Amino acid sequence: MMPPDPATHKVTPLGVVRRVSTSASQAADDARYWAEQMACVAARRDMDGFMRIYDHFGPRLQRYLLGLNVPAAQAEELVQEAMLRLWRRADLFDPARASLSTWLFRVARNLYIDSMRGEPRWLPIQEGLDWLDHEHAEEGGSSAESFTDHAGLSQAIDALPAAQARLIRMSYFEAKSHSEIAQELGMPLGSVKSTLRRAFAKLQLGLGRTP
Amino acid sequence: MKPHHHLDTATLIGYSAGALPTAFAVVVSAHLSICRTCREQLRDADLVGGQLMKQQEGAPLSASTRDSLLARLRATETAPARMPTTAHPAHDPDLLPAALHPYFGDRYSTLRWRMIGPGVHHIRAHDVADSHLMLLRTAPGRSVPMHSHGGNELTMILQGSYDDSLGHFAPGDVADLDVDVEHQPITAPGVPCICLAATDAPLRFSGWLARTLQPLFKL
Repeated sequence: MMPPDPATHKVTPLGVVRRVSTSASQAADDARYWAEQMACVAARRDMDGFMRIYDHFGPRLQRYLLGLNVPAAQAEELVQEAMLRLWRRADLFDPARASLSTWLFRVARNLYIDSMRGEPRWLPIQEGLDWLDHEHAEEGGSSAESFTDHAGLSQAIDALPAAQARLIRMSYFEAKSHSEIAQELGMPLGSVKSTLRRAFAKLQLGLGRTP
Repeated sequence: MKPHHHLDTATLIGYSAGALPTAFAVVVSAHLSICRTCREQLRDADLVGGQLMKQQEGAPLSASTRDSLLARLRATETAPARMPTTAHPAHDPDLLPAALHPYFGDRYSTLRWRMIGPGVHHIRAHDVADSHLMLLRTAPGRSVPMHSHGGNELTMILQGSYDDSLGHFAPGDVADLDVDVEHQPITAPGVPCICLAATDAPLRFSGWLARTLQPLFKL
């Protein structure tokens, strides 16, 4: 069974929409559901399952890339490219290390930096970093994500004070540098950074990390 | 190499969000390649990014994108993934971190240093549009002529070491400093200290000599 569509719980440009109390467990169920879909894709090269993933995440990736000022046609190209990478790397996808949403976010971000910022060798360097932890996990190192992480995180995001939520959104959805944020909001650079630090500490608490 | 001085979480958020100026992203990549602690922090930052992306309402994709993706899936061969060559930094002490190769070349031995003062050499990376990236080599037992100020400054020690009021900085360590931090590093005796530095304003060196040289060398 697919959980209710999380699109109804969205982050709007004006603020985080307060969710009903069941949203936390939904976030965990949701992460689990997509991990199962992905496992089918990896095991059977299941195209239908893959296209379900595309239909759900494709538009969200598109929204993310549009927010970063990628022109629509190019954003659609990058969404396709991210999905193709997922298809080709399905055997490497390990739900214990990263959820599908984290994985897709990371790939879309890397493709964005590669294509829009023209940073030489960004993609191979990111892949290299990825492998370091892949090997660590195989040697029995800590697994990074669990489904319950998503429950705690989604609650922690909802609970962020408005000022902190705003800076987190400006960072992630507009890819604004700390200096740009400081300029735009007329805040000292130091307070931009300390506000982001405080916000991140709360989100990590939601993830169950001990400080 | 187990670093003792790590990246600021605000910097890691910027990296995760694709929001760091290029020079800073390069320093972060170099540090991540040797620091598991910071890689774990980054995974949390990516998790936040993924969760925010998932919570957003989607934007419509054209039907032709879906069709063309299906067509490309059918045409895509899948092969078991292989480890890229960048994954394992070879244990060759002459090799620069992989993230620096596009800007400075592969090896310390082929770097073309330019003197900017007694005991101080530097190399500026070109092709970094939005920020400044440089290598700085300071002779042993000298004060490092850093000080950007008015902006961010992120430094990673590659060779040698220095001490300042914040502690001892050895290879792999990063000094991720807020604008208002005043520091005056002194390099340890023995070997020269090579640092990688990213700044968003051009580095300003203090002291009369540096002030005299600065216009000449366009630092």
